[in-house]
Amino acid sequence: MRRLLPICTAICLSTLCAAQDMHAPASAIAGEEATISTNGSGKATFYLLGPGVSRKSDVSLGSEVQLKAQDLQNAGEYFAVLCSDTCRSSSFYVTAAKPAGLTFLVHPSRVPVGQGDAVSGVALPFDQFRNLVLTPETVNFHLLEGTASVFSRSSQTRDGIAWFRTASQKSAGTLQVDASLGDLSARRAVQQVASDPCNLRIKGERTKAGILVQTEPVRDCAGNPVPDGTIVSFTATDGNGRSTVDAPIKQGVARAQLEAPGATVISVASGVAMGNELRIGAQP
Amino acid sequence: MSRIVTIFALLLASSLSSFGADSAVRVQLDSTKASPRSVESLTEQVILRDYRFAWTSIAQALEFNTLDPLEGAFTGESKQVLSQSVTSQQRTGLSQRYVDQNHKVQAVFYAPEGDVIELHDTAEYQHQILDSGKLIHEEHVVVHYIVLMTPAADRWMVRHLQAVPQF
Repeated sequence: MRRLLPICTAICLSTLCAAQDMHAPASAIAGEEATISTNGSGKATFYLLGPGVSRKSDVSLGSEVQLKAQDLQNAGEYFAVLCSDTCRSSSFYVTAAKPAGLTFLVHPSRVPVGQGDAVSGVALPFDQFRNLVLTPETVNFHLLEGTASVFSRSSQTRDGIAWFRTASQKSAGTLQVDASLGDLSARRAVQQVASDPCNLRIKGERTKAGILVQTEPVRDCAGNPVPDGTIVSFTATDGNGRSTVDAPIKQGVARAQLEAPGATVISVASGVAMGNELRIGAQP
Repeated sequence: MSRIVTIFALLLASSLSSFGADSAVRVQLDSTKASPRSVESLTEQVILRDYRFAWTSIAQALEFNTLDPLEGAFTGESKQVLSQSVTSQQRTGLSQRYVDQNHKVQAVFYAPEGDVIELHDTAEYQHQILDSGKLIHEEHVVVHYIVLMTPAADRWMVRHLQAVPQF
């Protein structure tokens, strides 16, 4: 009987030790402390593995294991393993904290005016630890030309993303694109430029060196000056055939000198836009 | 001596990469429901290739506790977090194995200008945790990942990888 008692005690203790268990939190918030309670008695080794974290420490069974805020900064799945004679494990999820920053992608940086669905933006809220915030949040998109509001939309994030798409406006200039979520905001700028030239008009005169032709100020169909550098093609047709000169717009106007001694018809084009024809008589 | 070190390093790198080639990472990608932009077939193939490569790299990095596999497949937050995992494991002597990976991936958002894609990955694998090479935990797990990938010069890179309880 005396012999049996220690054996029985040892078996019981062993059973107790083997029965160590723990209770992880159902979920936790990024950057906040959490605790894991343990059962049993004696010593054990505690492991925590999660995104960006690997921790190993000795713990006393029956006590609580404190998980520090810096161990739980990254959202994702965490594994807690408690090893004594055997190992027990539990997993839990850390979710993102409240939004602390807004990533805002806007395209394009430069766009012709009057284009449908030409400007788009994607906003992604992140918490202070750069975890994507997946709870639905309302993002307000606001587009301004100068001080005039030209587009406004509230969009709820879905799986951490809110987006919009809209047409470019009629006037060339800077389009301010704002996204806001509560106190957070992000601002981008889109440069709206004139579209293709429209209603090209030319005038010309014969000079000693040939024919000098130039356009009137080149504008798009909405009246925006076409950017300098845009190429305008002048074509001269006379009895000897055709010749073409390409000239860039400078200060809103394109000019070219054509050598054509005979009666000449001059036409002009830029992109898909054609202009008026000009008839110049032969050199006297 | 430096030659021997170089040869040894090459052999080690070769053994690591051959492990990656042998380890099974199966990825199925369904991009039919991606919006607002539809995913072109060629883009889908490249994303599939690069996402599979990313998981091969994760498995290598976290098993062998080396940062090298993280070069090329990851950028931004995901690279930072995975690098932290590796350096943290190096300190504690822990490692993880992701065995027999099977990923069912759905593209749910593709930005209008194609500069970001969001994937939902339902991943199944045998997850092993080892302490100094001794297995302390093994479990067949199904994990849901929200993934953000962005295009680089010649590939798509994982920018964000976040496990969630459910989609």
